[in-house]
Amino acid sequence: MPRPAARARQSSVDVWRPSRATLALFLGPAVLVFVGFTAYPVLRTFYNSLYLVGPQGAAEFVGLQNFSKALTSDAVFWTALRNTAIFTLVATPLDVFGGLLLALCLYAGVPFARSLRVVWFLPVLMSNVVVGIIWVWIYDYDWGALNMLLRAIGLAALEHSWIGDPATALWAVMAAHLWKWLGFNMIVFLAALHALPADVLGAAELDNCGWFAKTVHIIIPMLRPTLVNLLVLSFIGKMMIFDLVWIMTEGGPLWSTETVSTYVYKRAFDWNTFDLGYPSAIAVLWFVTIIAFVVGISWLFRQRDRLEF
Amino acid sequence: MLQVGEAGTWRLWLAYVRRTPLLLFLLAYTALTALPFLWVASMSLRTTSEIFANPYGVPTHPHWSNFADAWFGSNYSTYFWNSAIAVIGAVIGVTIIGAMAAHGLARYHFRSKRLFRFIILSGLVLPPQMLILSLYQILLDYQLYDTLTGLAIVYVATQLGMTVYLLEGFFAQIPQDLFDAARMDGYSDFEIFWRITLPIGTPAIFTTVILNFVILWNEFLYAVVLMTSDENRTLPLGIMHFMGDHQLDVAMIATGLMIAIVPVALIYALFSDTMIRGMTAGAVR
Amino acid sequence: MAVVAIDGLSKQYDGSSDFAVRSVSLTVADGEFMVLLGPSGCGKSSVLRMIAGLEPITAGTVSIDGRVMNRVPAKDRDIAMVFQSYALYPHMSVRDNLAFGLRRRSVPADEIARRVQGVADRLRLAPLLGRKPHALSGGQRQRVALGRAIVRQPKVFLFDEPLSNLDAALRVGTRAEISRQQREIGTTSIYVTHDQAEALTLGHRICIMNAGEVEQIGAPMEVYRNPATAFVARFLGSPPMNLLPAIMEPAGDHVRVRLADVTFELPNWPLAAARSHLNQQVMFGIRPEDLYEEPITPMPRLRVQVRAIEPLGAETILLLSAGGQNHELAARVGRETSFRIGESRDIGFDVAAVHLFAAATGKAIARPTA
Repeated sequence: MPRPAARARQSSVDVWRPSRATLALFLGPAVLVFVGFTAYPVLRTFYNSLYLVGPQGAAEFVGLQNFSKALTSDAVFWTALRNTAIFTLVATPLDVFGGLLLALCLYAGVPFARSLRVVWFLPVLMSNVVVGIIWVWIYDYDWGALNMLLRAIGLAALEHSWIGDPATALWAVMAAHLWKWLGFNMIVFLAALHALPADVLGAAELDNCGWFAKTVHIIIPMLRPTLVNLLVLSFIGKMMIFDLVWIMTEGGPLWSTETVSTYVYKRAFDWNTFDLGYPSAIAVLWFVTIIAFVVGISWLFRQRDRLEF
Repeated sequence: MLQVGEAGTWRLWLAYVRRTPLLLFLLAYTALTALPFLWVASMSLRTTSEIFANPYGVPTHPHWSNFADAWFGSNYSTYFWNSAIAVIGAVIGVTIIGAMAAHGLARYHFRSKRLFRFIILSGLVLPPQMLILSLYQILLDYQLYDTLTGLAIVYVATQLGMTVYLLEGFFAQIPQDLFDAARMDGYSDFEIFWRITLPIGTPAIFTTVILNFVILWNEFLYAVVLMTSDENRTLPLGIMHFMGDHQLDVAMIATGLMIAIVPVALIYALFSDTMIRGMTAGAVR
Repeated sequence: MAVVAIDGLSKQYDGSSDFAVRSVSLTVADGEFMVLLGPSGCGKSSVLRMIAGLEPITAGTVSIDGRVMNRVPAKDRDIAMVFQSYALYPHMSVRDNLAFGLRRRSVPADEIARRVQGVADRLRLAPLLGRKPHALSGGQRQRVALGRAIVRQPKVFLFDEPLSNLDAALRVGTRAEISRQQREIGTTSIYVTHDQAEALTLGHRICIMNAGEVEQIGAPMEVYRNPATAFVARFLGSPPMNLLPAIMEPAGDHVRVRLADVTFELPNWPLAAARSHLNQQVMFGIRPEDLYEEPITPMPRLRVQVRAIEPLGAETILLLSAGGQNHELAARVGRETSFRIGESRDIGFDVAAVHLFAAATGKAIARPTA
């Protein structure tokens, strides 16, 4: 029910410059939630990292000792770091460029593309618990699909305890992770491909481009913003990976799949001494590392000018 | 991109044949994606002994009772309802708070706007490790530890960034004329939000509801840190716990997995386009 | 330089039973500038894209210099195209946009540099060579698109409504540019547009299309003066030709036309052609410029009501209705008019400028030549 026009002018001269009350109404709850459950915890983590933190809260100020301990005398931390680095640096390009390759294959005009797309996105939507358990079963030595397949095609010599063997565990987890996420990148690239202006591709054809030349010289350069986006997203996701690793191997066997995030969790909740300070320090270290990498990657792949079309 | 010379079925067929290796490859990938799910579905309807005898067989007589056993016998029903409560509560909360914040950012200009936007979106790239330890402490302090309420509030916080991001993009595209007309008709700020932004923004809001639901339904890390007692476990945790205790009862685990999969699969079956578009929207540039 | 011949070209899109293009045949002579003109959806762009090889052909053939091109992929047809959306490669500089096609064809580097510089000078693009497309204005982008086609030195130029995205002022200038370039270089060109002004000024010949079919092909003035169908008559000319229903009757050794409240004789009309339409419904056509407010010579007059007057400065357009509001007419008169809105006046028409079309088919009935 409309009120008299006079009321509409209650804010200020410029109608779209809102009053304090309006701002508070719309943005207030979000800000409260953010401050209370995101900003404050982050600050508190920074704070904790400088202390030994027992069950009663911050107990003893140790300054940068947690950091130096992590960086100099904690072999497990470095193992976790190494594992996470390997995982991220290998899985990210596989994930993104694999998705690109699949999308290009699809874009080349295979029929049923739309219906198949629905299937490929399915693993993305499944809980890591589901994905993890399925793959633990696939990797089972006796009745898992992988070993059974190898036996069936005569490569029984290759059968392995895939997640029981420290040498293969990390790669096994990586495979499961890629299985889950490849579909996401593929579908994003597919959408980007379909958004490319048809005339530019037509012009490329007239300029003597076969499908290969067209892909390399025209399509991929025009996909660059999407590519960079996905690389960064993928990178961040893999640096922080926890769920799948925890479910499949809990960081074992023998620390071969220990990642920084699983180590933080273990240190906090699964250790013989209770101290939240040390894992907080590790978390802070890791946070800074991630930001540095993200800034670096973005700068490395930055568009020198806009790619408008 | 399918370059066909003259039409006519022969040529079309030839074009398909040329693409055969591609087709086979893609079919193989499709099989690789779909088969594991079919396998779990079939396992959920068999007994463990059947499975060990023939792991990849089809259920001879489907044991629908597995589901009843899981639901009533093990604690799956508890886990399911815990998840439902926490997730639905969180989705309601984040939708309301997020929509209002998105409306505020989309419609108004104010000095600290860039700051607000940065703040709310920074949540998107924050590693959970920076939060879980402190949240553990905070929830303990406020007696919200190991409660569904506490978990729901944390979930609202984790999903707020993404929700505001998606909704703001959509709300900003609603033509300003509508709002100007409403202003001239004398509507107040909240009425404008209620009568214009919400009805027109319903598709986008719907998308975020579905996305948030699926993401939170599957959420594991925060649940693992912030819930301990069996009565309060959410479904992913419950399955893990069950797996830990009864590692060999494969059939029952499979049934539990199916209970976790079915809600998501249902939503996906109904809204696959919406979901795919929503989840990939931010990444396409 | 090449002769482009299309014969019985047809196009049916997937999932549609309608033909977007229906058995179109025409030949473009070497060095000729042929314009395909027609309303949106008439199939002209489809024809162009089939000639380019960007669209599969349903039936018929496309030949260049006698060689059938149906199975030849687009990149091997030695054709260059200027797109409505310019279709420049957004990630490449202007220089690279121009050079790309040549590089792909393994033209030696010094030749590429020479040609690119030549085209840049010709189209005044030299200061823009280092820029990317997003840093150019619409007119500049269109010149780059034109340059990209020219630098290839192809056998045929194709233009797909290249001026549609430009604002009016730029359109006139770029239109002249295209015309000048084509005259200097002399490449066979096919140009698609819905704008009759472009067609009339640019083309050596125009081909008018409607609903997938060819209505008429001919030189611009020829088509304007002697439209073969009522559609062509109304499509060319602004305001369009006036068409009114009439009946054709025999009158001794010639015919007579009864129109609304006036009857007039048509001496000199070839009786043989007119005979099959005697005593039948026809459409009487007269162009607005052939209607006279104050005729000097004696001519038949039509009673009209003045609906609106549009003074345009150099001339005035009168919007009239005849036969009691049923039929609307436009007339082009001088700088000032004595007509006033609401008046009922007589307007004269020149019998020599009358066109007649069969009511059923829309085809023109033969007129006396010269």
